[in-house]
Amino acid sequence: MTVRELVDSGAVKAAALPDGDREIEGVYIGDLLSWVMGRAGSGDAWITIMSNVNIAAVATLADTACIILAEGVQPDDGVTEIAREKNINLLLSDRSAYDTAVWLHERL
Amino acid sequence: MKELSLNLLDIVENSVKAGATLTEMLLEQVGGALTFTVRDNGCGMDEETVRRVTDPFYTTRTTRAVGLGLPLLKLEAEQTGGTLTVQSDTDPVHHGTTVTAVFHTDHIDCPPLGDVVASLITLIQGHPDTDFLFTHRLGEQEVKLDTRELREVLQGVPLDSYEVLQWIEGYLREQYQSINQ
Repeated sequence: MTVRELVDSGAVKAAALPDGDREIEGVYIGDLLSWVMGRAGSGDAWITIMSNVNIAAVATLADTACIILAEGVQPDDGVTEIAREKNINLLLSDRSAYDTAVWLHERL
Repeated sequence: MKELSLNLLDIVENSVKAGATLTEMLLEQVGGALTFTVRDNGCGMDEETVRRVTDPFYTTRTTRAVGLGLPLLKLEAEQTGGTLTVQSDTDPVHHGTTVTAVFHTDHIDCPPLGDVVASLITLIQGHPDTDFLFTHRLGEQEVKLDTRELREVLQGVPLDSYEVLQWIEGYLREQYQSINQ
């Protein structure tokens, strides 16, 4: 599934979708950014509740397919713009991290 | 990072890369606040660079586009209601950088300090030719290590030799033990 297809399904909303054709190949959940940096895989949909600018940097480093902010968390000011500028897909989900991951698991 | 001592390692690496011959590390617990200061005599940074070092997309590395040492430290400090400040000077005589992070240790999101002794040993092992002054103040008491004093006594024995590192580790752990008693 591509990131755009995920958004079109209505399960998540797009805050920034500069690279919608990116394929989602897996899922990673984590909030401790230094930990996620070394463990999230390339092509993963990364589910987190962290919302500051550092998530864009971690997504760049780990080369994730997209960031999904779970639990209805909104990005901090300016983060959406940076995501767009750095070619990072930033999505928003009202579900818990677990439910978002399960939803993805059933469709990947 | 899961432990503050790992952040300490990370930040001091910047000082060493900036050519510091002496890096001072001060940990000071006063009430519910832990202040973590790293002061070096490295080359320093200009004002523009100081402004940008907490931006995760700024880095002095050329191998990748992102530098997260200071941005993560800032985030961790702020998550506990604390702060991070960076002061720097490129003056030919008084050059150097000071990074100060304040953590509120009674905040649930404050990471534990972790094994500071192990971090110090790693630093000395990795950079045996640079000097470190480490001070950890706990109330009235303090734990201290000054590699300049060691060097004087050792008269040419490298700091990264096994026996010396073993001795340093024992020396530091003993100081912590006597404070805990």
